[in-house]
Amino acid sequence: MSLPTRPLTVTIDGRQRGPIDVPDGLMMIDLLHEILDLTGSRLGCGIGICHACVVIWDRDDGTSEEVRTCITGAGFFDGKRIRTIEGIARHNDKGEILSLSPVQQAFLDQFSFQCGYCTPGFVMAATVLIERLARTPVPRGQVEATVAAALEAHICRCTGYVRYYQAVRDVILATPGLTRDVG
Amino acid sequence: MTLHRPGRWALVIAAVILIAVIATAAFALQNLLAGKIGGPVQVANASADAVTRGKYLAAAADCAACHTAPGGAPFAGGLPMQSGFGTIYATNITPDPDVGIGRWSAEDFWHALHSGVRRDGRQLYPAMPYTSYRDMTRADSDAIYAYVMQLRPMKVAGPKTELRFPFNLRLGMVGWNLLFLSDKLPAVSTGRSPAWQRGRYLVNVLGHCGECHTPRGIAGEMKLSQSLTGFALGRVAAPDITPAALAARGWTAAGLRAFLMRGTAQQSWAFADMRTVVALSTRNMTAEDLDAVTTYLLGDDPLPVRPPAIDPAQVRAAATGAGRLSYVALCAGCHGLDGNGVPNTVVAIRNNSTPRLADPRNLIVAMLDGVGRNNFPHSESMEAMPGFSDKLSDSEAAELANYLRVTFGGQKGDVTAADVRALRALSP
Repeated sequence: MSLPTRPLTVTIDGRQRGPIDVPDGLMMIDLLHEILDLTGSRLGCGIGICHACVVIWDRDDGTSEEVRTCITGAGFFDGKRIRTIEGIARHNDKGEILSLSPVQQAFLDQFSFQCGYCTPGFVMAATVLIERLARTPVPRGQVEATVAAALEAHICRCTGYVRYYQAVRDVILATPGLTRDVG
Repeated sequence: MTLHRPGRWALVIAAVILIAVIATAAFALQNLLAGKIGGPVQVANASADAVTRGKYLAAAADCAACHTAPGGAPFAGGLPMQSGFGTIYATNITPDPDVGIGRWSAEDFWHALHSGVRRDGRQLYPAMPYTSYRDMTRADSDAIYAYVMQLRPMKVAGPKTELRFPFNLRLGMVGWNLLFLSDKLPAVSTGRSPAWQRGRYLVNVLGHCGECHTPRGIAGEMKLSQSLTGFALGRVAAPDITPAALAARGWTAAGLRAFLMRGTAQQSWAFADMRTVVALSTRNMTAEDLDAVTTYLLGDDPLPVRPPAIDPAQVRAAATGAGRLSYVALCAGCHGLDGNGVPNTVVAIRNNSTPRLADPRNLIVAMLDGVGRNNFPHSESMEAMPGFSDKLSDSEAAELANYLRVTFGGQKGDVTAADVRALRALSP
């Protein structure tokens, strides 16, 4: 017996992958893990609740959003550009890490996570948020609420929320251009 | 002289308005003379049994659904109800003497339920379903009164209802009532049994099901000749719940009972306003009353369940189309490739009542908006379904809806991009 397949081409972390023959009904998380060997995105609940599995979908209009790969079929990403947790830090041509992103560094500096299972999801959410604020800054007084709204959907079973939120808030306040003084 | 139709209608309307003015003036005068403004604070010394009975009846009549604002104190009013005539705010029915009904007598209370007239003599709008409650027994009205009068008084003055002219003239409701107020709402099924009789009372009067499920005419009146055949007050339609329509969507007595008692059944899980109905009202009903409701809805001799036939040729055709691709990409992760869902977590689409509706709007709105997380009685819950309005174009959404209708609903794949666009335009 063979599963029906469809060809898929997707750009991941700046690199075009495919065309790959993808079995009908394969979820994106399984494509990442089993076929592309990108195992950093976490499978948590498998029903789109915990958000540990999100990747960033870069839309053609310059905006980005998180997409839950555990409930989104691989076929959805055909022809699209995405970023996974593997593509967030800066790398050299050999694939070695040159530097972590400000969000990743802040999570380390502030001991934001314990077991780390949810961390890739939090990194993606914070990255999307910071890029959005670079396009449309918020008043300084709204940073706390903005962070809470952006990260709210992400579940951390170690309950490390305070330090995650604190780290993202600090990155936002320390990065010029993400906030404005008047509301 | 023979008047043309419009002329004759103008005369009738003028006469109705004149009668209304006179009646209301007389009534207001009578109320004033009777001291209906101000007056003593009422103390209802009802027995514990009466209060318990009243609490049950208030749940069956689902008073709390409208008379409670989101996050507000129960029965303290404030819920906005949109209508084509403006926004109507539910009132505070806790026994506060100034902003609630603390000065209302049992007679005043019954008068409001039965005739749609407030204690001060002003007309209620039929957003308050006195149009259904009219047939409530005086004993039941008194019991509900006994219950609400012993609630903690809440000094919460809700926003004032302000409708557009001429609908802001409450006087006009006197004429409306003359034209549209019915003493007894028609039966939607056939039956004679005591359960059927009780069910008729629970559905038509206390449950006021027709207020959402019966189509409305141009003046906002229930079209009683089409009772319970379904209507869309907003973006979501209250479906047809007459016996033939229920049978055609797979509803059995056991399914209906489970749905009303638990909010979850094989045929559907309650969402939108019906979730509130289950949570606040039907789940509190006794097994006997739930039996009565289902007996009335299906009739003493229920029709055999007859879901629409699925056409295998159409299903095969749909399986190769764009709708299927969207299903696999966006839906199958939770609902499964076969549409069977996940027990206790994700609703099944196969054998579900919603794709079987001829009117596709509920299916489309669920796809566009998603469905919020729901906690149901008996520790049952449904996880939130995300909305896909930003991931599906109008034509993609139409193709997906058609895939679901053909594959799981036995309905025609006749949804167009324009249908989706129209519902999108109604987004809150």
